[in-house]
Amino acid sequence: MPVHADQKSAAVPSFTCENLQVTLVGAAGANVILDGIDLTVARGEFVSVLGPSGSGKTTLLRVLGGLQEKSGGTVRSADAPVEGPPADVVTVFQDYSHSLLPWRSVRRNVALGIESKLTKPECAERVAEALTMVGLQESADEYPWRLSGGMQQRVQIARALAMRPSVLLMDEPFGALDAMTKASLQDQLQRVQELTGTTVVFVTHDIEEAVYLSHRVLVLEGRPAHVGLDLAIGLPSPRDQITTKESPEYLALRHRVYEAMGHGKRHA
Amino acid sequence: MSAMATPDKTSTAATAPATPGRGPGRRRNGHSGTPVRGLLPLIALLGLWQLAGSPDSPYYPPPSEWFAATRPLVENGTLLPALGWSALTFLLGLIIATFLGASLGILVGASRVADRALGPGLEFLRVLPAASLVPVAALILGYTMEMKLAIVVLPATWPILLTCRSARRSLSPVLLDVPRTLGLSRKERLTKVVLPAMTRPVLLGIRVSAPLALIIALLVEIVTRINGLGALLGAAQANFESAQVYGLLLIAGVLGYAVNWLVTLLEDVVSARMGTATG
Repeated sequence: MPVHADQKSAAVPSFTCENLQVTLVGAAGANVILDGIDLTVARGEFVSVLGPSGSGKTTLLRVLGGLQEKSGGTVRSADAPVEGPPADVVTVFQDYSHSLLPWRSVRRNVALGIESKLTKPECAERVAEALTMVGLQESADEYPWRLSGGMQQRVQIARALAMRPSVLLMDEPFGALDAMTKASLQDQLQRVQELTGTTVVFVTHDIEEAVYLSHRVLVLEGRPAHVGLDLAIGLPSPRDQITTKESPEYLALRHRVYEAMGHGKRHA
Repeated sequence: MSAMATPDKTSTAATAPATPGRGPGRRRNGHSGTPVRGLLPLIALLGLWQLAGSPDSPYYPPPSEWFAATRPLVENGTLLPALGWSALTFLLGLIIATFLGASLGILVGASRVADRALGPGLEFLRVLPAASLVPVAALILGYTMEMKLAIVVLPATWPILLTCRSARRSLSPVLLDVPRTLGLSRKERLTKVVLPAMTRPVLLGIRVSAPLALIIALLVEIVTRINGLGALLGAAQANFESAQVYGLLLIAGVLGYAVNWLVTLLEDVVSARMGTATG
């Protein structure tokens, strides 16, 4: 399996944000969502972003992915300022049913991002590789609306992987799935990330999920939000749904994140 | 019913998929029983008319007379070209209306600025009765095919424009983010994502527009007598050929029925292809 992340520039972080500010204009006028965000995401790192709902996690991810404009500060992706979606950064959305094209088969959905950039055989090979990574090679000719939610989300992940991105941005990708499916997709993602060395920025509201998957957990707090907690998760890899989650280190980390989220003190 | 068996064999309407007034239609296109069965009351009515009507009636000649009166139009070669002209006007008008309605609708639905700028003007044009444009159009374009087309296009555009506008507005923002994050060009975003997503609303609009376009096409032809089925109808009426009027009316009805049937069929086929069987 190829290692996707660019080895030469391993020293250059995937993202650097300095004093980032984001203002969204809504019906009630301008609203500062994020302010004073300083953030560095190293190559190959798996970083989760937590925070109470409405705290701006998704907004932060959209800014990193070039889908949302910032209103102040700097954002750099692999040392280039972010203006529009960077070429090797792909976002995976929570809403899998609306992010797959119902008129395209699974295979052609996965090919969407690469079909015009590669020759046919190259494209077919990449699609097959990506589908194998998420275990969907059997369903290549199905239509997405005939698949379960978990399978649809795997199609979306395969579509992102087919781009061979150096960064995956994931916006609550497993938020709409049942617990069993979620656990199996978490392990699949963990494996894919180790295999490809892809940097992952993972937005979630599930504290266990964040601690279980990540190298580092960020907690957004306040309004406008800033990074309240930046906690390294030093658990050994690969992680296991049973043993890791029973280890005292895991429980201690989980405890700290729960505290940082304001549990036992106050509710945002 | 029995009296109809003889005069109808040369009727041009024989090529149409469903011909009301031509027997109970057991063997006809066997596609699904319902539309044919639904025509039974109409056929019964025509049968009654045939039995009760007098061939000498100036206003209500029975169906057998209609065929006899329409036959000369077939024999002197006026009916087929007229049908062709009407069909051409209808088809071209619908195609132009589809392009115009879809592109304007998508534009207006995508941009609040465009919606504000064009909205009131579009609203005015929408409520303007199409028939009232005939004098103006005739003044500008003369009694021509272009004039007919212009008047057909206008009302047929609205249903397509409106369905496209609301469909484009309610398009999931995620669906628009996907091609951006995958690095698709602006053109690819349109051709691979937005336009396919608009196919169903366009077809929905066409289903409303198609009968409208046919109505207006015939109406303009009746009023202006340029050419086409409507012109024949108008002429027959002016000459007090009431049996011929009924005959042509029947043909117009069959045409309308066929158009509707084809559009519904098209919509079904595309819906299946666009994959919303679960939804």
